[in-house]
Amino acid sequence: MYRKWTLSLLCLFILSPAYAGVLRGTVNISGENDNRNVIVYLETTLDKKFPPPAKHAAMDQQNMRFIPHVLPIQVGTTVDFFNSDNYLHNIFSPDYTGGKFSLGTWAKGITKSFTFNTPGSATLLCNVHPEMEAYIVVLPTPYFALSDSTGKFRIEDVPSGVYLLKTWHERGYFTVKKIAIKKNRPTVVNIRLK
Amino acid sequence: MKTEKDKVARCLTAIILLSLMLPAWLPAVPSFARKYKTSCVTCHYAFPKLNAFGRAFLNNGYRIPGGKEARMRKEKPIKMGADAYKKLWPRALWPTDIPGATPLSVHAVGRVHYFEAGKNSSFEIPHQLETIFAGTFDQHFSFFAEVKFLNQNNVDYEFKFQYDFNSKFHLKMGTAGLEEVVPLDRRIAPLKYNLSGIQNRSGTWDLTKGAGGGIELWGAGNGPHKSGGFTFALGLGNGQINRNNLDTNNHKDFYGRFTYKFGGVGEAGGIPPGWHSNVNYYTDNSLRLGGFFYSGSASDSLGRDNFHLFGADLDAWWYRINLFAELMWFNSDYGNIDWQTRAGFIETNILVFPWLFLRTRYEQTDMDSQDARSLDRFLLPSVVALVRANVKGSVEYKLPLNHQSENDGHFVFQFDFAF
Repeated sequence: MYRKWTLSLLCLFILSPAYAGVLRGTVNISGENDNRNVIVYLETTLDKKFPPPAKHAAMDQQNMRFIPHVLPIQVGTTVDFFNSDNYLHNIFSPDYTGGKFSLGTWAKGITKSFTFNTPGSATLLCNVHPEMEAYIVVLPTPYFALSDSTGKFRIEDVPSGVYLLKTWHERGYFTVKKIAIKKNRPTVVNIRLK
Repeated sequence: MKTEKDKVARCLTAIILLSLMLPAWLPAVPSFARKYKTSCVTCHYAFPKLNAFGRAFLNNGYRIPGGKEARMRKEKPIKMGADAYKKLWPRALWPTDIPGATPLSVHAVGRVHYFEAGKNSSFEIPHQLETIFAGTFDQHFSFFAEVKFLNQNNVDYEFKFQYDFNSKFHLKMGTAGLEEVVPLDRRIAPLKYNLSGIQNRSGTWDLTKGAGGGIELWGAGNGPHKSGGFTFALGLGNGQINRNNLDTNNHKDFYGRFTYKFGGVGEAGGIPPGWHSNVNYYTDNSLRLGGFFYSGSASDSLGRDNFHLFGADLDAWWYRINLFAELMWFNSDYGNIDWQTRAGFIETNILVFPWLFLRTRYEQTDMDSQDARSLDRFLLPSVVALVRANVKGSVEYKLPLNHQSENDGHFVFQFDFAF
């Protein structure tokens, strides 16, 4: 009995979020006033697979815009696409991520879903409204965040270890660096993109 | 080793240059001021005369040089299709964008004259009202159009539409000709340069008429270390046209121009090493040398006039002083007589303050006329004041230097405004 309690407490302690790290910081795009929509993400240096989340991600179409403009997801995530506008919209992608999928055209109130099983970025277009554009970026790990307009980002619950930190932006700003995440201590990184 | 001062100076230079980045034949275009939310003096020495960065902007197809157009543009364009549609072409329309706001500008000019000969004065208001449309579509198309109302009854209009391969090559269709050589819109004071008034012998063509409708391949490039550089233009046009804008003969006029600039800001945009020591919009220590030619054919009721001209120009800048000179030789073969005219001018512009300029020009025209050669010489001193970046006042005196016309001086006071 005493052994079972000790073992349970030990597991709780090991699996506790206290052993996970936090990666936070700011990303700054040289020459830009608005630093939003930069995806900061981590890739493991080990060949490790992560189970896809059960919870679906969501993308809406409102006022002739995709909301959000950039949606990072983990590989294997299903995205639900809504149409909240009073007119028909269409979603398709010309990119190989998602296999150049097309969900057809549908009216307000209808939801269609698609599961992204290939890492990469998929540009979303609407063939009814050619100016509409969005990005779904499919990432290999659940450790990612999207920067706000000031460039701030925060990734929680990252197990300690060594990772590759990468960025994605629709205009191609890219960086790669090795980073060590320590348990119980936030890791702060400031990234400058040009 | 870079010191802190060097870094600050480079930053300041970049900021000022970037803020200066807002086209060689280009009147003031306030719609660009709106597009980039910047002042006229960003591109203009004193409108419409361009400064070095205004030239680089023009040479990049009315875009910020160095690929920084998207960053510097404050007015969002209207997208005609998302960029990703390029991946679908030819199964989809190639995407583009149009200016977010109507790219319309207005420039108005009024004058007051005093003629010494008759001792009379006159208001000439309006002298000119022009509406200008200029802008870009995506990275490869640009346009410039103008409707000009002169005095009471004259309306002049033109447009140019061009494909911008890159800063080195542009293909222009529309109104062609040696516009940059006729510095109609490079002057800062009221009266035209003598070269723009010189006609072929039959009176059917002058440089301001240009080559009419035509095509032109032109471009610009930076010199070594992104300093100075070259510009070139080769074009073909109708020349003499009828009321329907159609060519009146089987001959096309052709022309060319080439310049090379030593020193200063790169012709296609670029900050040469050590440039940060000249941190203002009007300084561009440099020397630009150019050459040009034009060959054309026109006719009237008395016969054909085959004419050609060639010339050279010099544009030197040294801190607050600009020296600008041009020489032209004009041959006109008309009525079995070979008529020859030589003309030129030399002009000095001095920036006293960023809003106050002194300008003096000496002009000489040696024209071949029916009876004898006539030699006209004038001295034109003027004072130009930028009351605001978009409001200008100038006073100019045209003093004849020929003994027989020494009492025929002409004072002009001009005011311009643009928005």
